[in-house]
Amino acid sequence: MTYIKKFFKNDNVGYIFVFPALIYMAVFVGYPIISNIILSLQDVTVRTINSPVKPFVGLNNYVELFMDNVLRTSIINTLIFTVFCLIFQFSIGFALALLFNKKFSFAKPIRGLLMMPWMIPITVTALMFKFMFSSNVGIINFILKSLHIIRQPVDWLTQPGTAMAALIIANIWIGIPFNMILIATGLTTIPDDIYESSSIDGANKIQTFFRITVPMLKSTIASVLILGFIYTFKVFDLVYVMTNGGPVNSTQTLSTYSYKLSFDLFRYSHGATVANVLFVILFIVSLLYLKIFYAEEGSK
Amino acid sequence: MSANKKLSKKNNIILCVLSVILLAIMFFPLYWTVVTSLKYEQEIFRTPPTFFPSKINTASYVAQLQSGDFNMFRAFGNSTLISLSSMLIAVILSVPASYAIARFRFKGKKLCVLIFLITQMLPVSVILTPMFIIFRNMGLLNSYFSPILADATIGIPFSVLILKDYFASIPKELDDASRIDGCNYFSSFLRVFTPIAFPGVIVCAVFSFLYAWGDLAYGMTFIQIQPMRPITAGIFNFMGQYGTKWSYLTAFAVVTIIPVALIFIFMQKYIISGLTSGDVKG
Repeated sequence: MTYIKKFFKNDNVGYIFVFPALIYMAVFVGYPIISNIILSLQDVTVRTINSPVKPFVGLNNYVELFMDNVLRTSIINTLIFTVFCLIFQFSIGFALALLFNKKFSFAKPIRGLLMMPWMIPITVTALMFKFMFSSNVGIINFILKSLHIIRQPVDWLTQPGTAMAALIIANIWIGIPFNMILIATGLTTIPDDIYESSSIDGANKIQTFFRITVPMLKSTIASVLILGFIYTFKVFDLVYVMTNGGPVNSTQTLSTYSYKLSFDLFRYSHGATVANVLFVILFIVSLLYLKIFYAEEGSK
Repeated sequence: MSANKKLSKKNNIILCVLSVILLAIMFFPLYWTVVTSLKYEQEIFRTPPTFFPSKINTASYVAQLQSGDFNMFRAFGNSTLISLSSMLIAVILSVPASYAIARFRFKGKKLCVLIFLITQMLPVSVILTPMFIIFRNMGLLNSYFSPILADATIGIPFSVLILKDYFASIPKELDDASRIDGCNYFSSFLRVFTPIAFPGVIVCAVFSFLYAWGDLAYGMTFIQIQPMRPITAGIFNFMGQYGTKWSYLTAFAVVTIIPVALIFIFMQKYIISGLTSGDVKG
């Protein structure tokens, strides 16, 4: 007893404070991650879920799923989705951050209001965009028709290419605020006198942007892009609600495919296997992120 | 480019107008949803579409109160219960954890931070299937506990990482002073530090609530009984059943957004500081 008291006397008392949260995460995240790996090595379906002994199949599920086209399509779709979203979110977010960095009267209130799309439940965002993209009542078809860009209404969500485009557009709407606010925060760390001296040196706006703003924001840019990749790559709700992976898997992503296998087809082990593929990809990217930024984190 | 240069009057006006136009474009989907929820079904299908309802129709909201089919106010209540509970769990667990990480030096501290950083980036889908099986074996499916417990796993890592910066920004001397005044670690944590870091605690509470409020995957997977489902799962179900009844669907969407909009209006300062990872000034 006295030993325990002594142990927790000084800084070790920190363990008492941190343990409840750690134990919670171990039980509800750590344990599921491990059981997800085990699950992917077994053959658990709706028939075997209640049996006490689950058949062990090794890497069979991985082999089976990689032979099957849908997993490969899902990986490619997820990548296409992520890359296009990132390009547009980032460049629009960057442009807006630059705009709102100028000190005009409405800058602060409007920048604040622009955060709203990011906070709306994604299910609702998906519903809104599904409505706007619908072929008969959708406002988007109406606008495009009025501008004479299209003649016939486009069935956005029921054709492969356009369905993916619609998802990307909806996700860009969600992602712009996130990109904007992080880049805007980065911009405030650049001291004003650097800009002053560059303008004295006769640099024009474009030169200033590429020679000063971008290099000074290097770490912000890297973190926004990597975090953006992680958050976009795991997309689930948006795709699930807007297209549910269709038509014919053309918008199937790793998350939605995993969900479909587990909860529509009740092939739990296959669902876990796909989830693990997603996990491995994101784990590698997360480690990359931590490797770049951990030094900064650790010093705090 | 230079941020400190005072803008001329003309430039100020140009930028204000430009920003208002951008705001209008970004807010259009929200506006369109609200307007549609107040239209009669025939008007929704009219071409050209009307940008303001010619006759206000509140029936889409009222119908939800009466119809037993799917009651959105019931779903609203479910979501509130689930989100508040998981917010409480997240705050109660993450405040002391972040305090420890910020104030004490103990072995394995870096590892703790690393664990929270990694779990924060984890996709829901990775733990969904095993969690489903675990909750099934524990008999927790179709109860509020399963989404509450699962949603808190999103709030905790976020909260710990934000709050540790708040705690770290409090001067060390305060620690010693409170110790001299006879506080032990626990009372100085509760009476001295938590009140000072209170803005941070609010940021965590707000985000934990919003994460849980926006969750679809956990709520719809763990709860199969319609009247117990959260509002996001309710909307999804409703979309399957009444695919094109847009007046009902948009009304549903508006009700779901209301708490988010209220939080946004009253807590904007906290939200932005939370998004920029605890870089709070003032």
